[in-house]
Amino acid sequence: MTTDQDSQATVAVKDNRIVVDDDDAEDELHKLLLPNLDELPVSPPSAMEFNFVTYFAPDFMKPEHDQYIYRHANGLCVIGLAAGHVAFKDEGGITAVDFNVGKSNRSEIKVTGKRKRNAQQFESNTALCKVCTNNAFYIVRCCIKGSLLEVNDRLIKQPELLNSSADREGYIAIIMPKPADWLKIKDSFITLDEYKKLRHL
Amino acid sequence: MADADITTPVADAVGEESKLVEKAVQEVPADAVKELIHHQVCVRCIFRLFNIHEGIYALITPATLYSIIEKATEVEAETTKSSQKSEVKSNICSVCLGVMQFSYHDHKDVLVEKDHAADFAMVVAESVKEKYPEIASFTLEVSLPTLITENESVILSYMKKKYASEVWFQEKFSFEHIISVKDALKQSITHSLETLLGVKSSVSDFRIRLTYEHVDATSAENRMGKNQCNKRIKSGMHSNGFVKCSNETVQSGDVSDLNFQLKKVGQPCHMTLTCSTAPVYIGGRYLKLSRNVSQTRWIIDDERKGEASVEELIGENILPVCKGDGYKFHAAGREDIDVRMLGSGRPFLIEIQNARHLPSEASIKEMEKKINSLESNLVRVKHLKILGSQGWSLMREGETEKQKQYAALVWISRSLSDGDLEAVSSFKDLKVLQRTPIRVLHRRSPLDREKIIHWMKIEKIAGSSQYFLLHLCTQAGTYIKEFIHGDLGRTHPSIGSILGCRAEILQLDVTDVKMDILNE
Repeated sequence: MTTDQDSQATVAVKDNRIVVDDDDAEDELHKLLLPNLDELPVSPPSAMEFNFVTYFAPDFMKPEHDQYIYRHANGLCVIGLAAGHVAFKDEGGITAVDFNVGKSNRSEIKVTGKRKRNAQQFESNTALCKVCTNNAFYIVRCCIKGSLLEVNDRLIKQPELLNSSADREGYIAIIMPKPADWLKIKDSFITLDEYKKLRHL
Repeated sequence: MADADITTPVADAVGEESKLVEKAVQEVPADAVKELIHHQVCVRCIFRLFNIHEGIYALITPATLYSIIEKATEVEAETTKSSQKSEVKSNICSVCLGVMQFSYHDHKDVLVEKDHAADFAMVVAESVKEKYPEIASFTLEVSLPTLITENESVILSYMKKKYASEVWFQEKFSFEHIISVKDALKQSITHSLETLLGVKSSVSDFRIRLTYEHVDATSAENRMGKNQCNKRIKSGMHSNGFVKCSNETVQSGDVSDLNFQLKKVGQPCHMTLTCSTAPVYIGGRYLKLSRNVSQTRWIIDDERKGEASVEELIGENILPVCKGDGYKFHAAGREDIDVRMLGSGRPFLIEIQNARHLPSEASIKEMEKKINSLESNLVRVKHLKILGSQGWSLMREGETEKQKQYAALVWISRSLSDGDLEAVSSFKDLKVLQRTPIRVLHRRSPLDREKIIHWMKIEKIAGSSQYFLLHLCTQAGTYIKEFIHGDLGRTHPSIGSILGCRAEILQLDVTDVKMDILNE
């Protein structure tokens, strides 16, 4: 480890004593940093799996319009297209994404401040964006009632993100529902296992 | 030098003072004094209003003061009342509400009445010594009910109007410069306190505060009616607008009016004695060895998050040594509960409020040893020492230039290659754009923050091709976890994007907080 401060002694812990010897201390520190491989899984859970609970809304308002909701412990929900969404069945996959739907262009909203007061309040059936394929276009909706904090504007320039990683970098939006609104709707969603069974994945 | 026992020197001093007072009183107009006595103004207040200093310091009792005035002004005992002398004592002054008569209800609601200023000083000194046995100096502060100022200005305008035409009024005593109750009270007891406490009164961190409050004291606004006052009074405001108000409405010099305007009270004030000291600052660096300890106390819905907090582990071991009332913890930055703080440690500051004991250097070393040998082994401290008031500014210095060094345990979705090590090491001062991470987006502003990764280095772990240690040095405020896993592409570039695969972080340790403070 490159510690290039000569003026400061790296101090670490050794046998319950504070050691002020540079090399010794570095060794001790290094020992603390190395993991015990036996305790590590071959394939660890992803940050998303670890920190979010995943829900699915199959056939949301229209058949085969499947969407996912990743909910964080802090209440925020990430919305996106689930693997079984009909758009992925079109030849060539998704070619464009347009946030200009409904009354406003969702990618132009600027939410500011801790309280996010100027965020737009949307209903669960409010349109978020349009995803286009070679054959058709499909409306993506909020699925939950709440404040729209952010849309993934990278999709405008890189719609292929939806084809490669719709479940990660291809997310659609982040919504903040009120606790009461979440409680009302959560039971209408299904789990990953249930979704897999439903769509034979 | 006045001691607690009355010996000859004191009696001499009393005799001396009496002579001085007699002399001063001879110059004062008799009828004005009689008028004030008639309106139940106490003797010390009378001296105040005539700007006579001698009467207030007094080792002399009010009875003696009164007899001096009696002699000079030939005040006859009024036939409607019994012995005027006892009245002097039992009537509460209509101006000072008993403050200058050293008469008050203490914190237990017991009525305290002292004849001598020295006796009152003794009560105060005993109380202070009990709670704060070690002090180097003191400042005396007095807080009084506004009713005193109100009544005083009522009396003064009355006197000014009544005696406006007198020669003595125009040439000598015009009631423009009087000694305030606050000043008079302070002057009465300061010297005695210095002797009893053995320290000097000066501009000091240690404050002795005498707070007088009166239950009956309704503001004049309520008495006179709101339409007569130009300003509305907020509670606690010192009534400049108020005094104006009462002067304007004192139109006539009628005695009956004066009686109406003076708010008389049936009992003296309630006095509370409080002491406070400037806080003591103790600083150092801490290490956090556990992944289940938060930096500060973290309790949600009555449940604690984590098994302990750095703040409490350090604070609870310093507070009793300083015999303080409480503590505040402040650190130069923070780390998540599941992130260890190793290596150089993080600078921190503990502010001990109302510390009654300043620990010695040896004592500080003891504290450090004690914290470092706690069985739980969750936290360590080093370079513990007392800081002056520059403590806070020390923390702020160079905050944005602070660099931090980390070691992260990273997993990638493919095998590591040698090319990867080179690629990662090649980046110097890499600019990274981070949107506010989703995990804190609920309580922080949605912003794009540009941060700098100064350098990075991969350290292979023997026995694994997909796990490795990533050492990195970054600008203050960089979200490390999000730089590793990319936060759904909201942090760009990320380790994943640089290596062209999925990356996850399993463990994070802070290995160095580069600041030039608290290093020895």
